[in-house]
Amino acid sequence: MNVRDVALVGGTTTKFGVRPSTWAELAQEVGARLFREMPELRAEDVDSLFLGAAEPERFAFQSHVAPLAAEQMGLRPHRIIQRTELACASGQSAIRSAYAAIAAGLSDVAVAVGVEKMNLPSMAEANTSMACVMDRAWDGPHGATAPPFFAMVAQRHQLEYGTTEDQFAAVSEKNHRFANSNPEAQFHEKTFSREKLLRLPIVAPPLRLGDCSSMTDGAAAVVLVAADRAKKYTDTPAWIRGTGQYSDFHNLAHAGSLTEWTGLKHAAREAFGRAGVGPEAIDFAEVHDCFTVSEIIEYEMFGWCPPGQGGAFVADGQADIGGKVVVNPRGGLLGCGHPLGATGIAQAVEVYRQFARKAPPARTVPDPEWALVHNLSGSANVHSVMIYQGGSAA
Amino acid sequence: MSSEPRPRRPGPILAAPVPPPPEAPLPPVRTRERRPFLLDFFPLESSDQTRLSRFFDRLKEGRVSTTRCPKDGLLHWPPRTACPQCHSEELEWVDLPEVGHVYAFSAVLGGAPLGMEDEVPFAVGLVDLDGAPLRLFGRIEGRPWTELQIGSAVRLESFDIGDGRYFYRFRATDP
Repeated sequence: MNVRDVALVGGTTTKFGVRPSTWAELAQEVGARLFREMPELRAEDVDSLFLGAAEPERFAFQSHVAPLAAEQMGLRPHRIIQRTELACASGQSAIRSAYAAIAAGLSDVAVAVGVEKMNLPSMAEANTSMACVMDRAWDGPHGATAPPFFAMVAQRHQLEYGTTEDQFAAVSEKNHRFANSNPEAQFHEKTFSREKLLRLPIVAPPLRLGDCSSMTDGAAAVVLVAADRAKKYTDTPAWIRGTGQYSDFHNLAHAGSLTEWTGLKHAAREAFGRAGVGPEAIDFAEVHDCFTVSEIIEYEMFGWCPPGQGGAFVADGQADIGGKVVVNPRGGLLGCGHPLGATGIAQAVEVYRQFARKAPPARTVPDPEWALVHNLSGSANVHSVMIYQGGSAA
Repeated sequence: MSSEPRPRRPGPILAAPVPPPPEAPLPPVRTRERRPFLLDFFPLESSDQTRLSRFFDRLKEGRVSTTRCPKDGLLHWPPRTACPQCHSEELEWVDLPEVGHVYAFSAVLGGAPLGMEDEVPFAVGLVDLDGAPLRLFGRIEGRPWTELQIGSAVRLESFDIGDGRYFYRFRATDP
């Protein structure tokens, strides 16, 4: 069977933040925005819906969420309707599933939507839900959540390579600055200098508040179509050229080296191999900066700098506009917030907007052709990578 | 350092294997719950809920143990009912070494899950067990996180969580 080319032809996000909205209302909002911003899109043309949602059972006490999302968005999918769950990578999983379905000929026009409602009246209850991402029976009772785990990663990176708190802050400063030109970002109006970041309280030593992405409510949606339909929706599609994924371990006892993420290397090799390009071809990347140290290790694992040099790479401006590769021009998870299921979709929306020259000047990547999107999930035990190429509609 | 192998293979030094369990099923035990199961991290430990109840029975005797596959020698963590390598379900129980050293640590200073808010701040870490190829994650008691170091010696211990169930943790032992 021939594999069909797949184009991402548009998308949108809600405002991310602490939203006075329910899960279902966020799904309605993103649906309304999608159809308003894509007047060419007709509900009856959408044959399939893929929903990225990490923990609606915990945060919204709701299962069977894909048909609920379809109803909120005014859709009646008639080929494939399903939810994808991969914790922090649930959104990218929805896009990968839509891609696979279209490439295989099972769908022609699919919406991939991500919805997450995380802010509850009880923060302890929300934290309990977040802790379920780890091995609940064996790591959970010790109080394992993402901050202390990534704090240990940061501690080892400091020990092995001499990475400094100031270099961690350089990641946060850059991504918050990009978020200042993204009105949908949770921290759109807040400015963070490195000096200010280094004065914020410690959450899990050595990580401070500004090193951590936040609990966020939000939704995002993209439209993916078979190549022969792309022209109907846009002149500037983002073509999916490669994708890869790797699941390395789950219980924290099997994390091995905390600073070498072999799963990311495997996923990247698969994605680059399918795309037929290497890391040097990437003009901008939306990578998973759930914590500042994550983005530093990701520079190293993708091969944009040698192992251990990620801190110097960002402090030297190499991840900024004018550097070697523009990383997280959307504002990252640090600046935009991290509604688990919506994050991977919102990253793809940024890819579309950059290729379509629709991003504000302060975060515009000059003449991009190749883009990369990465999500890790859990304790960086799973990595998901997609590679997009800009270009005209077929 | 970054390319070291994962600590999964069994080494030569372990406590003596515990004799295989008798065939007779253990009597059912009523589980007493502290809070609703979906808001409680401690596992259901009794033999009517888990096939690994022997792990928790041994915790009550002060022994932290795990399973090993006699067929391929693989030492497991956490304990298992089937070997992930050869898929044998005929596993044996072995006691873990009591002493280990901190590989990495941090602390939870806020944002703790339900039931742990009163324990903040608390230290957690990854600990390499002496004489076993295992690096376990766990709570580290007995020392404020500000006084812990990479390489600090810790002891693996069991403790009563207060409602009839037992769990394990580390205790810092350096002077």
